[in-house]
Amino acid sequence: MSRLIAITRKELHMYFVSPVSYAAFAFFFVIVSYFFSANFIGSQLVDVRLIFDSMSIISVFVIPFLTMRLLSEELRQGTDELLFTSPANLTEIVLGKYLASLTVLLLIVTLSFAYPLILAQYGTLELPVMWLSYLGYFVMGATMMSVGLFASSLSSNQMVSGIAALGILLLLWIIEWIGTSVYVDAQPLIEQFSLIGRLSDLQRGLFDLSDLIFYISLSALFIFLTVQVLTRKRWK
Amino acid sequence: MLEVKQLSKTYDNMRGVNQIDFSMNRGEIVGFLGPNGAGKTTTMRLITGYLYPTKGEILVDGISMTNLPRAARRKIGYLPQTPPVYPELSVWGYMKFIADLREIPRKQQKERIEQVLTRLGFEGREQQVIRGLSQGFRQRLGLAQAIVHDPELLILDEPTSGLDPKQIIEVRSLISELSKERTILLSTHILQEVSSICNRVLIINDGKLVMDGKTDELMHSNSEGFEVTLAVKGPESEVLRTVNAIESVKSVQMAGRQASDEASLARIKVKAFRDVREQLFYALAEAGYPILEMSRSSVSLEDVFMKLTGSSSEEGESLE
Repeated sequence: MSRLIAITRKELHMYFVSPVSYAAFAFFFVIVSYFFSANFIGSQLVDVRLIFDSMSIISVFVIPFLTMRLLSEELRQGTDELLFTSPANLTEIVLGKYLASLTVLLLIVTLSFAYPLILAQYGTLELPVMWLSYLGYFVMGATMMSVGLFASSLSSNQMVSGIAALGILLLLWIIEWIGTSVYVDAQPLIEQFSLIGRLSDLQRGLFDLSDLIFYISLSALFIFLTVQVLTRKRWK
Repeated sequence: MLEVKQLSKTYDNMRGVNQIDFSMNRGEIVGFLGPNGAGKTTTMRLITGYLYPTKGEILVDGISMTNLPRAARRKIGYLPQTPPVYPELSVWGYMKFIADLREIPRKQQKERIEQVLTRLGFEGREQQVIRGLSQGFRQRLGLAQAIVHDPELLILDEPTSGLDPKQIIEVRSLISELSKERTILLSTHILQEVSSICNRVLIINDGKLVMDGKTDELMHSNSEGFEVTLAVKGPESEVLRTVNAIESVKSVQMAGRQASDEASLARIKVKAFRDVREQLFYALAEAGYPILEMSRSSVSLEDVFMKLTGSSSEEGESLE
């Protein structure tokens, strides 16, 4: 456990000294704030769901920037030799890094509380909808982070990892449209795998455990795949 | 301390190492030599558990790297070819991370880190960000992370590469100092390094171990003899006849005359490691031809290395 915490702490330090993280944070909040103000002024509605729509879509583009260096940079600068020859095993290393990315996600979520607080000045918030939307956004963001972590294990080049993560996330986002255009009957089944589409129930205030299980399972799958990729690198 | 048994590693499309077999006793400092691409780094990565072997076994103090990797890794300190440092961290922050990763109890961490940093000359630089350190200090920091948990076995992959001559001397003396209390396997292509700090040499070529022996024994067993160069005052033909009459002399080549003192120059090859200098002295003195100069050139580790690895002379010249 101490090894895992050490890795998490180191990763968090890396996040806060990296200009890429600050740029990604700034980009995220500038765009989300723009949509927030445009939607709020345009519709004059106190509706928290509009915030989460834009946050989810912007996350598809921002999270690859936040995860691309997690393993790529270790592979590039040779510090993977330090980690992999230490008493920490691969799962601890991967989970340590994942935990750091979740902490960053939690920071995004915390900072985004500013939007509902502003809305609350102009009307009454639907609190169950808000909390479930936040829960939904967090588990979806956690899944996106696991995808980014996985992509980061694929190459020692950060840009390649970032583009791979973006590609996978875009695919998981638009999968429902692909389903519709390729084979209409398969749409209900394919929709189940849509990363953002799966949020719709939670954003309506409907709690369905299967939605949570979907995100948690997908995160676990990508973490497992990350460990497998790293294991394979050592056999090759 | 270390047993490497029939270790093989095959890469997808490259040769790796093939049936490497050796062991190291506690307290030994072993030089691991080989031309570029011979398999030194692969072997070290296998020993440290960074790579998994295709075949074979590694035992660190009797603990199998395959079955109990965590316990085996705890006993090893490893400095890879590129110092594994994080440029964004401070020296202290980096060492703290290593101490946590290496499971040094929190109460002992401060003292241990201070000890190691002082030993490696980091006083006053503890808060410096690694990005601002010179290559020499990065290499030292790499060494610091390798020894902070007080490992019994140190694996150092080209610890002096990329350093300037002054830094090379410093790192070498540091390694010599560390060798007093640890077992060290040191890879290098600087042969001087091996002759100055190692008491045993392993030579790897083309993925196979081609030699394992004590440094001086290696030079003797692989030598075809050594050379003596003489400047003798006397006629060339007489000097040649007198020297040739000595039994241990393999061949004599006359190399002209020194104009200054009218001496004949002779290069004498001697049969496998027999010291003929005394015999030469008495034989030439008896014949009345005084020796003005005599020098012996013995076989160097370079010669042994070239012979065993079949390197071309061009490659040999590039070796320091």
